[in-house]
Amino acid sequence: MKIQLLKNKLTGLIIPLVLYVAWDLLSRYELVPSTLMPPPKVLFETWWVMQSSGELLLNMKMSLLRVGAGFLVGASSGFLLGTAMGLWKPVEQYLNPVFNFFRQVPVVAWIPFLLLWLGIDEWFKIVFISCGAFIPMTLKTYDGIKNVPASYLEVVRVFEYGWFRLLRTVIVPSALPSIFTGLRLSLSEAWMLVIGAELVAAGEGIGNVMVIARRLFQTDVVLVGVIVIAITGFAMDRLLGLLETRFLGWHRTQNAQ
Amino acid sequence: MERLGTLEVKNLSKKFRSRNDELTVLNDINLTVQPGEFISIIGSSGCGKTTFLRLVVGLEKGYEGEILLDGQRLNGPSLKRGVVFQDHRLLPWLSIEKNVGMGLKDAKSDESRKAIQEHLELVGLKGFEKHYPHQLSGGMSQRAAIARALVNRPGILLLDEPLGALDALTRMYMHQELERIWKQEKITMIMITHDVDEAIVLSDKIVVMSSRPGTIKKIIPVPLARPRDRASYDFVKIKEEVLEEFQLHTEHPFTYTI
Amino acid sequence: MSITTNVATFIRTRYHGLVSFLALFIVWSAVSHYELVSAEYLPSPPAVAKAFVKVIKSGQLGVSLGSSLVRIAEGFFIGTTLGFLFGVAMGVSATAERLFAPLFNALRQVPIIGWIPLIIVWCGINEPSKISFISIGAFFPILLSTFEGIRSVSKSYLEVAQVFEYNRIKLLRKIVVPGAVPNIVSGIRLSMGTSWLLVVWAEINTRSAYGIGDLLSSAGDGKKPDIAFVCIIVIGIVAFLINELFGHLEARLSTWRKSYR
Repeated sequence: MKIQLLKNKLTGLIIPLVLYVAWDLLSRYELVPSTLMPPPKVLFETWWVMQSSGELLLNMKMSLLRVGAGFLVGASSGFLLGTAMGLWKPVEQYLNPVFNFFRQVPVVAWIPFLLLWLGIDEWFKIVFISCGAFIPMTLKTYDGIKNVPASYLEVVRVFEYGWFRLLRTVIVPSALPSIFTGLRLSLSEAWMLVIGAELVAAGEGIGNVMVIARRLFQTDVVLVGVIVIAITGFAMDRLLGLLETRFLGWHRTQNAQ
Repeated sequence: MERLGTLEVKNLSKKFRSRNDELTVLNDINLTVQPGEFISIIGSSGCGKTTFLRLVVGLEKGYEGEILLDGQRLNGPSLKRGVVFQDHRLLPWLSIEKNVGMGLKDAKSDESRKAIQEHLELVGLKGFEKHYPHQLSGGMSQRAAIARALVNRPGILLLDEPLGALDALTRMYMHQELERIWKQEKITMIMITHDVDEAIVLSDKIVVMSSRPGTIKKIIPVPLARPRDRASYDFVKIKEEVLEEFQLHTEHPFTYTI
Repeated sequence: MSITTNVATFIRTRYHGLVSFLALFIVWSAVSHYELVSAEYLPSPPAVAKAFVKVIKSGQLGVSLGSSLVRIAEGFFIGTTLGFLFGVAMGVSATAERLFAPLFNALRQVPIIGWIPLIIVWCGINEPSKISFISIGAFFPILLSTFEGIRSVSKSYLEVAQVFEYNRIKLLRKIVVPGAVPNIVSGIRLSMGTSWLLVVWAEINTRSAYGIGDLLSSAGDGKKPDIAFVCIIVIGIVAFLINELFGHLEARLSTWRKSYR
């Protein structure tokens, strides 16, 4: 069993390994110009220089702060709107059509307006990220509340629950898995949009590092940037995933059955 | 607290209206259930038995006629009537003890703790307090659901095919358990079923319903001593009588006894 | 039923939403009419309407929309074809899954916009870079949904096929792919939606030829908010249409699934 498992894992390394060797050979013998495809060794060196000079950390810090702020604002307001639409009929009736209308417009389309209104500074980036984080969070919170099984609500009707107890025992726990999905979608959207915002508007940040590097044809720096943002995105999603298993143990095990 | 529960149903009719259709689901139902009685309602699917039960629970609104509990007209669901659904409907995110305590005003008080403990013992789930529903078998889940329905000491327990989803052997075992609980708690029980044996084993009276529209066809008393022997002559006789209502009887009743 | 009663029921059931939109419109009109916000920042409704007519008449809108759609079509075609092929291979063969899954899982972690600078370095700022960017975006949703769709085909159906001694091709054609169709179509919808917003991203970042994103960003630079507004509306409408169209297709192709449940 164990050996089989190990073999399966190793098979997965074949293609990355082949690609790596090909990459190394191609760049070493300059079959591909090193401006386009710097050899792996150079990549490590570049990463090390960026790391030890503090350049990478400083820019990552800026990007992460923006994501933090945008995610906080966007996800919490999305949570509020989703909850309000899920719980109160009038709010749902009046606001859901408007929300659905604006949801159709990809956030990227708002860039010129946001730039016009907010300039190219922090405000633009944070508002832009918030808008992106807002949408999936609203949707998933609303969905989660709307999809509380009717059979559970019937059980509770027999017990004559008040508002608060109904919310606490049935609605919130039942909606929580969907809300967590919303959080994860919202965070990965925020992470993507911070890169997008930094590509468009100057200022410090990992996206900006990549833009400058691409103008100067520093392919190595661009590649390091790509790898770093991928790992960071993955790590953030994992973190939320861990929180989810921590809080939603019953959900995981139930679904596993 | 005195446990009451005389249920009177008088001229009850229920219609469902869709846009241009009107469907009579129940027509002129008359039934009196004495305190402490065990009644089974049996009928083919679509005869409105579940609708009847939901009306008595209060989950279904809008009917003609009267449903009276101790002379009072029913108005919405109430803690005075417990329900056990076919699917156990335990909340997956609550432990068994919390599920059982759902109907209590303050589940943390000493009194409530005691009630929960007692009822877990009653249904034979002592030691499973901290388990979650997905860790329980079908029969155990249904017991927990029964404990949950009983914990606030309702006058009537309504059971909607509570054992329908269980396998035959577990079901027979649950019959014994249900009878024991019924005796111990001295509570009125109304159970919906489509299992004739189950109805005869447990009930004082069997209400046979016919469909479209749902009406009471016959009420068959079961004057047998408990616990009942499924192979006894009288048991088979009654089974014969019930099956006759569904045109399912044969000339050789003993071929049924296994 | 006559049209008037249809309209009447529509208004009766949806009037809340209509009220909200009307309120929004009135606020917008009032704000721009009384110049609470200068027209430089917020164009008035009539200005937007005028701009709409203008860009349609001059052909600007048509050309921009057309070239964006052509880009999408190319990128979408490349991306979904590759994604579908890899998805089928990985779904059917455990070896293919073991070979490719780690690689694709790693690549998938890159936030899609993060590819833009790299692609520009590699392919320049012309058509090839835009099309490869869209292809990458379209690739992953299809790959995942095809893979999951095939894996979701129940083992019991495969056993039925075994009993009837289907060969591999027949198995694929009669059971595996049809069973995966609903998933695949929802994957197509996702990648189509992604392609549409990625084309805008690509055009904003590599301004060159015509495109709806180019029109949008040049309107932003040239301080023509009315035209930018028109672009937003058009982008929203196209996104909506894509979603609706493929949503209908999805519902249609998965009816058997619903009635089965």
